[in-house]
Amino acid sequence: MQRLPKIVRILAVISFTVVVVLFAALIVNSFQNSGKPLSSLAPEGPSAESIQRLVIPVTSIAGIVFVLVIGAIVFITWKFRERKDSDPDEFPSQIHGKTTLEIGWTILPALILAGIAVGTVLTIINLNREEPNSIQVQVAGQQWWWQYKYDVNNDGNFDGPEDITTSTEMVVPAGRPIQVTTTSNDVIHSFWIPGLNGKRDAVPGLRNPLKLQADEPGVFRGQCTEFCGLSHANMRMLVRAVSTSDYDGWVRNQLKDHAADPTDPVAAEGKKVWLSLCAQCHVINGINDAKMKETPPPLVSGVAPNLTHLMTRGTFVGSIFNLYEPVSSDGSPLLMSDVAAAGDPGAALTGGKVDTATVNRVTLEAWLRNAPALKPMYPQGGRGMPNLNLTEEQIDQLVAFLETLN
Amino acid sequence: MALTEDRPLALPSGDSNDGYTPTGVFTRPSAETGPRSWFTTVDHKKIGIMYGAAAIFFFIIGGAEALLIRMQLWAPRGSLLSANLYNQVYTMHGTTMVFLVVMPIGAAFANYLIPLQIGARDVAFPRINAFSFWAFLAGGVFLNSSWLLGGGADGGWFMYAPNSGVVFSPTHGVDFWNLGLIITGIASLTGAVNLIVTVLNMRAPGMTLMRMPIFTWMALVSQFLLLFAIPVLTSAQVLLMLDRLFGANFFNVAKGANPLLWEHLFWIFGHPEVYLMILPAFGLVSEILPTFARKPIFGYPFIVFSGIAIGFMGWGVWAHHMFVSGIGPISVTAFSLTTMFIAVPTGVKILNWTATMWGGKLNFSAPMLFSIGLVTMFTIGGLSGVMHSVSPMDTQQTDTYFIVAHFHYVLFGGAFFGFMGGFYFYWPKAFGYMLNESIGKANFWLMLLGFNLTFAPMHVLGLQGMSRRIYTYDAGYGFEFWNKVATIGAFTLASSIALFIFNIFYSKSKAKNLPPVGPDPWDSRTIEWMVPSPTPAYNFDPIPTVTRVDDFWYRKYGETKDGKLVRIASTAEVAQQRNDGKGVHLPSPSYWPIVLAFGLPIVAYGLIFSLWLALIGGIVVVAALYGWIMEPPDDPDKAHDDHGPEAHASGGGDAAVSDSADGVKEVETVG
Repeated sequence: MQRLPKIVRILAVISFTVVVVLFAALIVNSFQNSGKPLSSLAPEGPSAESIQRLVIPVTSIAGIVFVLVIGAIVFITWKFRERKDSDPDEFPSQIHGKTTLEIGWTILPALILAGIAVGTVLTIINLNREEPNSIQVQVAGQQWWWQYKYDVNNDGNFDGPEDITTSTEMVVPAGRPIQVTTTSNDVIHSFWIPGLNGKRDAVPGLRNPLKLQADEPGVFRGQCTEFCGLSHANMRMLVRAVSTSDYDGWVRNQLKDHAADPTDPVAAEGKKVWLSLCAQCHVINGINDAKMKETPPPLVSGVAPNLTHLMTRGTFVGSIFNLYEPVSSDGSPLLMSDVAAAGDPGAALTGGKVDTATVNRVTLEAWLRNAPALKPMYPQGGRGMPNLNLTEEQIDQLVAFLETLN
Repeated sequence: MALTEDRPLALPSGDSNDGYTPTGVFTRPSAETGPRSWFTTVDHKKIGIMYGAAAIFFFIIGGAEALLIRMQLWAPRGSLLSANLYNQVYTMHGTTMVFLVVMPIGAAFANYLIPLQIGARDVAFPRINAFSFWAFLAGGVFLNSSWLLGGGADGGWFMYAPNSGVVFSPTHGVDFWNLGLIITGIASLTGAVNLIVTVLNMRAPGMTLMRMPIFTWMALVSQFLLLFAIPVLTSAQVLLMLDRLFGANFFNVAKGANPLLWEHLFWIFGHPEVYLMILPAFGLVSEILPTFARKPIFGYPFIVFSGIAIGFMGWGVWAHHMFVSGIGPISVTAFSLTTMFIAVPTGVKILNWTATMWGGKLNFSAPMLFSIGLVTMFTIGGLSGVMHSVSPMDTQQTDTYFIVAHFHYVLFGGAFFGFMGGFYFYWPKAFGYMLNESIGKANFWLMLLGFNLTFAPMHVLGLQGMSRRIYTYDAGYGFEFWNKVATIGAFTLASSIALFIFNIFYSKSKAKNLPPVGPDPWDSRTIEWMVPSPTPAYNFDPIPTVTRVDDFWYRKYGETKDGKLVRIASTAEVAQQRNDGKGVHLPSPSYWPIVLAFGLPIVAYGLIFSLWLALIGGIVVVAALYGWIMEPPDDPDKAHDDHGPEAHASGGGDAAVSDSADGVKEVETVG
């Protein structure tokens, strides 16, 4: 065996050591899931927990096999390496194979896999079992936000006068099963709240079921996981699990139409601006919902977020920005500063007063000033919000009006 | 096959062929050497080398795209690429790496090695072989020309409907993707038929199927997978083309289409595709490990049959790409189980390779290091694959970076490490000089380091929620650290590729001062090592008679009953001397394959930009087909001038297998 140049030997040692340290660090890190709101390894609902019960044994088996195979290869390469002083004419014993061994290592993995298969099938059955007393929610993806429809009166129809249509955030009571049905108004998306369950594609023309349930109140983040075009990365979702009483209050408020004209004169001007521009695509129940049914908006997906109760949401623009958050000191648009907490609507969640001091005005104004600059969209093709070229005065008026939408 | 002597398309016997041009365009080219010969060659070795060179060229493009992706994801809210450009770059990265890099490198090895390993003079249809290469190159160039003509495809390499429709992707990128891959699909299909016929019909005397080298076996299985998988993709792509260019409604949901149709068609192609990409690398490793362990492969029949089993079972697992798309719990369960059990034949291979090394005398040459790299890295990819087969876990992992990690461990850690081993192993056979071993070893360790730094962190990124195909991510999700590690890893990986390319030129310049490598630099086992390096045009003179697996090895060594090896002959005694190949009758070069192949992208440009151009392209294609058909199968002046027995100076104890050149003569008439 030729002697290697020293640098190659040093490189080999570095490479081997770094890879071993890397794998160790990754294994340790996979147990550190706090501050990682999208982690699939920190289940907070029964469905995600039943998946986790499978993750632990399956990963352990994979880990054992990994250690055994890699360990065997490292051992073999060390033990059977060609020695410097070995006789070049001496050859190892020529073994062509051993049938019993072959049969053994065909059957053994098959048996291990059969064990995994049993657990897999039981979990599939468990995840597909329908829960009684579920809240029915239809989740529709479109480029690039999510719409939620609640069948409040449980009549199998999501569009009745007793039902709720909202967007961006899905409000649910903690501890109660939600039966989600995913669908899409344009391309294929995928609805995924890793803390609560695996994902389910939202396919146009299909209705796919998915069970969700949060054990405790809290905010659960999600991210669209089926590539859906330009702003796929900016298509997030948020489940806000609240107490049962808050949920009941939220439902009661959502069922209300928009109240009378705003009393504040600036907001009243804002409503005029809204009617002349925004009302072409967006709906506020009680103002233009009936009209919108006659002339749908000029959008490929046929729908823009319903703004009737905008201020009951903590986030906006597909949950990439906080609607409630202290304004940044330099006045630049704020991205989510605490992703896990998300903006908190406070009392406005159930229809209470909007605390305008906590509204993230800077980002809201920036959005109204030039929406496609904050989130890549394709408004000229009917996919997303255009730059409306509003004046600063119009923007102030619009914000004042939007702040009344609790 | 019965066209041996009566050649209906040739001129009457005795007449000169000079200046005879059936279409009035070309006389038959005759250059066997020099730059021009590469354009008209029908030699499987030159075609194999061109496949490899083109694939490395596209690999540099695809690698540059990968580096752009990694730079964009270096930190939250990266601003190097716009969302639109990022979507094009990642789509083209995946498409390039699959269709223009891994598949053609497999084709390069298959083309170069199969005729040599089975003891043939060339493939069954030499002109079709040339056409396959040129059509692949034409398709790849056409696909990448989209960058200059309005931008690349932006729908992902899987191109799911309806996002690939003209409403959602109004530029021509998807059309370039679609038509370009239809062209490379034609190339793959003709290549598959060619190599299958070659293996089944053109083996040397005594080379039964169960005496074939394992690389040839694995390449054969992968050609069968190509034969049946490519038409499924092409069918789906024709539907998409009709939708986009002619207003059909195959994937229009408003007209009642079900978008899952595309997903099913794509993955019925797409999963066998994975196996056909990895099997040639498995074959290479099965050649390299025994050579450097100084032991025969452990369980030859089990390795062969597990490869065949993978080939069959690969057809029953496609819907594991669709566990969350709403195919229902019964389908999910069924495909979960089939996917789990395809791990069995794969595991058998890993264990057999490990057992091959057990008890050996391991020489850690560069090819050996890359092969051990494949066995270990592919094991990681295989185990994460088993994790995906557990469909409830897959609902959390699919479309996250965990999947990106998984398939890079399979396709880079598996296929590409195997190819690197194959490059280092077969380089002296193809080019007549060795790649520098020390640089090769440094190449391996740098690649192992860069590869793991790039892709291992993606496992954790995916499990902790990082979605695939996102051009940006926000701070606050905990993605920052591992993305930085992955980007550093990507540049380390790129530097290892640069080192490989440097090694090619460095070793070539040093080779002038070194003695010639000889036919068998590694003391190898299979018959391709008994011919001179670089391989002469006629491959074997004479064609050897094969008596067992690893025939060449057992010409050098005898084996006692208790498994002890005894040298019985030196390599020089049993290797074929560089004869002049006199009397060996090789197929003549032709212009028509390249003309036909480059007619196809003209049709494709025409379909996109103007149907008049498509008409011109169609005329080129038809004219090329006519010229091809009318072209005499070979030059009558050069044929049959000498078949004297003195041309077959016997080497290596072969029976006088005279006139085995007729094997080529028969089929070239058909090709």
